[in-house]
Amino acid sequence: MHHLCALDDVVPGEGLRVTTTSPPVAVFRTDDDEVYVVDDTCTHQDASLADGYLEGCWVECPLHESRFDLRTGAVDQPPAKRGVRTHAAQVVDGQVWAELSTDAPNLPPGVAGSTAVASGVTA
Amino acid sequence: MTTLDEGLDPGLEHGEPPVTTTDEQRARGVTPSSLLPTLPGRTYVDPAWFAAECEEIFERDWFCAVREDDLPNAGSFRTVTVGRESVLLTRTRRGEVRAFLNVCRHRGARICTEDAGEKRRNFQCPYHAWTYDFEGKLVAAPNLTSMPDVDRVEFGLKRVAVHSWLGYVWVSLAPLAGEEPPSFADTVEADLAERLGSLEPLAAYDVGSLKVGRRITYDVAANWKLIVENFMECYHCATIHPELTEVLPEFADGLAAQYYVGHGAEFGEEVAGFTVDGTPGFDPLPGMTDDQDRRYYAVTVRPQVFVNLVPDHVIWHRMYPMGPDRTVVECDWLYAPGVVEAATGDDADPAMAARLDASVELFHRVNAQDFEACERCQPAMGSRLYADGGVLVPSEHHIEAFHAWVRDRVEGQS
Repeated sequence: MHHLCALDDVVPGEGLRVTTTSPPVAVFRTDDDEVYVVDDTCTHQDASLADGYLEGCWVECPLHESRFDLRTGAVDQPPAKRGVRTHAAQVVDGQVWAELSTDAPNLPPGVAGSTAVASGVTA
Repeated sequence: MTTLDEGLDPGLEHGEPPVTTTDEQRARGVTPSSLLPTLPGRTYVDPAWFAAECEEIFERDWFCAVREDDLPNAGSFRTVTVGRESVLLTRTRRGEVRAFLNVCRHRGARICTEDAGEKRRNFQCPYHAWTYDFEGKLVAAPNLTSMPDVDRVEFGLKRVAVHSWLGYVWVSLAPLAGEEPPSFADTVEADLAERLGSLEPLAAYDVGSLKVGRRITYDVAANWKLIVENFMECYHCATIHPELTEVLPEFADGLAAQYYVGHGAEFGEEVAGFTVDGTPGFDPLPGMTDDQDRRYYAVTVRPQVFVNLVPDHVIWHRMYPMGPDRTVVECDWLYAPGVVEAATGDDADPAMAARLDASVELFHRVNAQDFEACERCQPAMGSRLYADGGVLVPSEHHIEAFHAWVRDRVEGQS
């Protein structure tokens, strides 16, 4: 498990980019206080999904309006064609943790990334 | 057009007001004279002069940009031309009005090319997708996360000053020149107070509470100063405004309402309302006083607003100077909310709609007549005959103060 942030660091209805993983992930906290963790980078072009728009358990990329289902990573419409990688999230004692996926990330052209943990606490 | 002639009898007797003669006129042997000079012709055609007016006047002063009701929701927007700049006005999610230069901070593309609309999420440059929220902050851009040194506020849309009053949003681009905007009270409010005697008479109309019953946009092939000068005088009224002169018989004397402080032109005895045929308009606005009822007041608010006050509505002109020889004029007819609902709503009453038509038609004709006259003058502004300008008759002499103001702003001397 990888520690990402405190739950209070994430405003309900918004996302937070966390860069202690590689590639960075986005922690989303819905208005219903569900927490989801996905790769932060849109699969179409280098844009931060944490800067996008959270509606229910979907996030819309801030650049080109592709939307991703935070539960499955599936994309709803072009220009993104591939889903975003999801990570299993857990909130323990007000802290957000995630089991980082070992699948290959679906990063856009020109964005480097590995599944290795860049820094931070693991448990 | 009146021109001075060397042969003019120098001993000609003239009445009020006192004669004034310019050096230029004296040089031509014309003295004394009832006639004052206008600005030289080049100030109506010269691109460099117009650019100076933009820089010194429109891009500094409070410029009436939009009606607040034009921005009903978060993300509603309008784009307007202020001097040489395109300005983007919107409303934030907190309900506040913001104005920005309509220029992407990245490579300078126009953010919004439409005159008006509503954005769901943000303003996004159509070139490289730099994306700004309604506060102007840069919220996303391709590769932005790998440029952590790019400050999202510093590289947000460039804000200009806004001030809301009487239901309109004024902007000032003075901050772009590193200056504070001028005092709103000493400029916009002062122009209204000077003409009306004080701001107190405005209360009767409660302009901020009124709704737009009709808006007509005129694209006028004339310099903005011709339009101001035309609005300030009524020497032309009896000639080109037959309908208006029927409603306001005193306009036939050529002395505009703007000639006197606090004077409103009285409706003719047979006239029921300020309509194209003198038929009844609507009930007087709730605050109407006996002094103001059945009267028409007109105010020029520099640099680009005309306000017309009648008992049942307000006609509000905003000019957008587009070039030396082109001015877009947006004219709003403002009525009590109940009148607009009854005359234009989903369940509009045909009789109320007809009254609104008759009400709008009067000043729409006045506008069309005035702008045609201005367009008739514009081509001659570059004539050699008009190099030194034309002349103002006594009932137009108050326009000289406007000319002095323009010269002072552009040349720094009066």
